[in-house]
Order: sequence, then C-alpha cells, then structure tokens
Amino acid sequence: MRRGPGIAGLQHAARTKEQFKLTGEEVKKNTLQAMHEQLAAFRANLEEFARKHRADIRRDPVFRAQFHTMCANIGVDPLASNKSLWASTLGFGDYYYELGVQVVEACLATRSVNGGIMDLASLLKYVNRRRGSQGEPVSEDDVVRAISKLKVLGGGFDLVTIGGHQYVRSVPGELNLDKNKALEVAQGRGYTSVAEMCTAAGWPKSRAEDVLQALTREGIAWVDDGAPDGLRLYWFPCLGGGLDQAA
Amino acid sequence: MTSGFTFPYFFNYPPYFTLQPVKETRDKQVALWCSLILSFCQSTKTYIIDVQSESRLFSNDSINRKLSYEARAAILDELVAQGRAEWVDKSKTQCLIFWKRVEEWAAVLMDFVRTFGLSDSVMTMDELVGGDDVRGTELFGLHTEVLARVLRLLEAQGKVRTFKGSTAEEHGVKFL
Repeated sequence: MRRGPGIAGLQHAARTKEQFKLTGEEVKKNTLQAMHEQLAAFRANLEEFARKHRADIRRDPVFRAQFHTMCANIGVDPLASNKSLWASTLGFGDYYYELGVQVVEACLATRSVNGGIMDLASLLKYVNRRRGSQGEPVSEDDVVRAISKLKVLGGGFDLVTIGGHQYVRSVPGELNLDKNKALEVAQGRGYTSVAEMCTAAGWPKSRAEDVLQALTREGIAWVDDGAPDGLRLYWFPCLGGGLDQAA
Repeated sequence: MTSGFTFPYFFNYPPYFTLQPVKETRDKQVALWCSLILSFCQSTKTYIIDVQSESRLFSNDSINRKLSYEARAAILDELVAQGRAEWVDKSKTQCLIFWKRVEEWAAVLMDFVRTFGLSDSVMTMDELVGGDDVRGTELFGLHTEVLARVLRLLEAQGKVRTFKGSTAEEHGVKFL
C-alpha cells in the first residue's frame, strides 16, 4: 500500500500496520489451530494403524521399535497409561508389565551367581528362552523400555554402561567409579587380580584390594585360588562364563 | 563307562573350584556341586567316593583346576546333611552316595520282585546284586551296604524276611 503524504498518509500507514498485525495474529491462530487439527488427525491415524497392525506390532520386534519411534515423533507415549486408549488397543500396558516381571525374575534367578549385575544380551537370551517358542520374541529395545518402567519401582533397577557394554543392575547401591573401573579392566578376560588393577589403573595395592574384596562381598565377584602361580584371581560372572550359556 | 556324561556349564568356570568365602555365593556353589555329584554318581553307578583320590568329578584338566580336599569335604558334608550321603569313616575319606534314596531303591526291588513273580521265593544277597536275573536291571551292581539298608527297611515293613547264611555272600532274603 502506498503511503500517501501528510497526516492522512500517516494514519493510513498506522491502520495498515494494525491490519497486518491483526491478520498476522489471525494467521498465527489459524496456523496453531491447523496444527492441532493435524496432530489430532495424526493421532487418530496412528491409533487406527495400531489397531489394524496390533498383531504385527506384538509379533515383530523390529516393527515394534519403528512404531515406537513413530509415536515418539508426534509426542505420543503408548506406554503412558494403563487405562489409555493405547493400552486397550495394543494391550501394551500388559505387555510391558509382563515383560517387566520376566526381567525381574531373570535377575533374581541369577543373582546368587552374578551378584545382581547382568549383561543385557544375556538377560535378553534368558527372557526369550523362558518365553519359549510360542511366546512373542522380545528385543533389546523392549527390555530397555521395560526396565525404564521398572526404575519407578525403586529397588535399584537400572541400566548401567561399563566399558561400552550395557548391564542391568537389580540391586541397590551405586557402582562407584572404582568398582566400575575394576569391571572395565576385567572385561578383557572375565577376571582380574590385585596386581593387574594396580598396573592398569595405577592404584596402590590397598585400594585395589578394597575394591575387589567389596565386589566379592557383594557377590559380584568370585575368588579363584587355583591359578598355577597361586595368585588370587577375581572372576565376574556378569562378564560371561559363570552362568548357564542359555542365560 | 563315563564317556556319556556331560558336565554342566559351571564345571568349566575356574572360580567354582575354589570354596567361596562369601556365604550366599558359597551356598549357590555348593548346591550346584551337590547336584553334579548326584547326577555323576547315578550316571556312572558310583556308590563310594574316595575323597582323596584323583577324580574326573573334582578336577577339570582343561582349565587346570581341581577342588581341594577341604572343598570336597565341605560339599559332601552338605550332601550328608541332606540325607543323600554318609561318611563311611570318621576321618572322612570315603563317602557313600545315595544317588537314589533307600526308599527309592526299595521300590525298585519290589518292582523287580513283582515283575519276575518272585513272591515267596528266596535269593541270596549276592544274587540280588550280581546274579543273572538282575543283569540288565537297575539292581545290578548295587552296593551291598545300600542293599543292606533297603532290606532293613523292607523287613520293617513286613515285605521281606532276611536270614544269615554261612557266609556273607549267602545271606539271603525271602520275599513275602
């Protein structure tokens, strides 16, 4: 709009600006409205999708993971509430609840050997074995989700990363930095010794002894006095070998 | 004879050959060993374990580990506490293993008697564990001490009557 000369021109300009502002807000309101509507349409389509593909979602872990990603992208959490439409459409509430129970059971069954730290891949194998060939197979992604729900229960359930590997911890008590280091060093061969910790971590003998003895007291490490040189070795079942291969 | 036995996973994990100092860990370890001892003895029909001698059961050459005498004794003590074993001598060098309980053996014997229609007949102890009639049955090779317990039980139940022959081999039993 051409600005005319003089006061009339100024008033005209002000009115134009005002109109633009109003229009802008109108547009913004309309855009937001449009977005809400689009989102609602998305949700409805997603719910319809979930209903139609329920069987596939339950049966196929890869498809299931992709479905979760799709949901996350539009801000939907199908695990959010047991009572939600999601729970009834997909039965996800029960699904992850049951899986959570199986995860807890696996951890308890193996605790006397691994002290409450279990390698994620082993846990997955154990759970799938228990579910048998008739059960729907679960993926690492599923287990990780189930654990995130279990965390809410307290009792120490958590995923910990040591030396680039993931473990499920099912006992309370933090793995402090020293214990983490010991496990990291032991990851190489599944065991370590006071001497190795001193060399690898640069610790004084007393510190290495303290940590390894603490891990033994907690049942995470098993002692081995049978080495040919008589040096006491500390083995960690959670690093592999100490449990039934199926676990 | 022993070639058919498959050792469980823990037999290849070195720390299982050291008696664990931490109670909860040790309990689990001992439980696994007790179970192994019973299956191994059943599979190889071993009735007596000589705790001090070299044994495929207590050592694994492939990982260069073996259970110490103390560890073996501790594990066998647990089997004794469970009623699945008995020390033959006070110095704990020999252990009698009941990989089938006395009651289970008694059932096996009575089954044998029924199957072969032996009611009212008489057999010597020797025949019962080594005779032609028992060849191929579970009774073959049964340790005489275990048989003695079985017969004592069955006699108390009124199912057999035992009598002494002129030699130990001729001690006999009548099935009532």
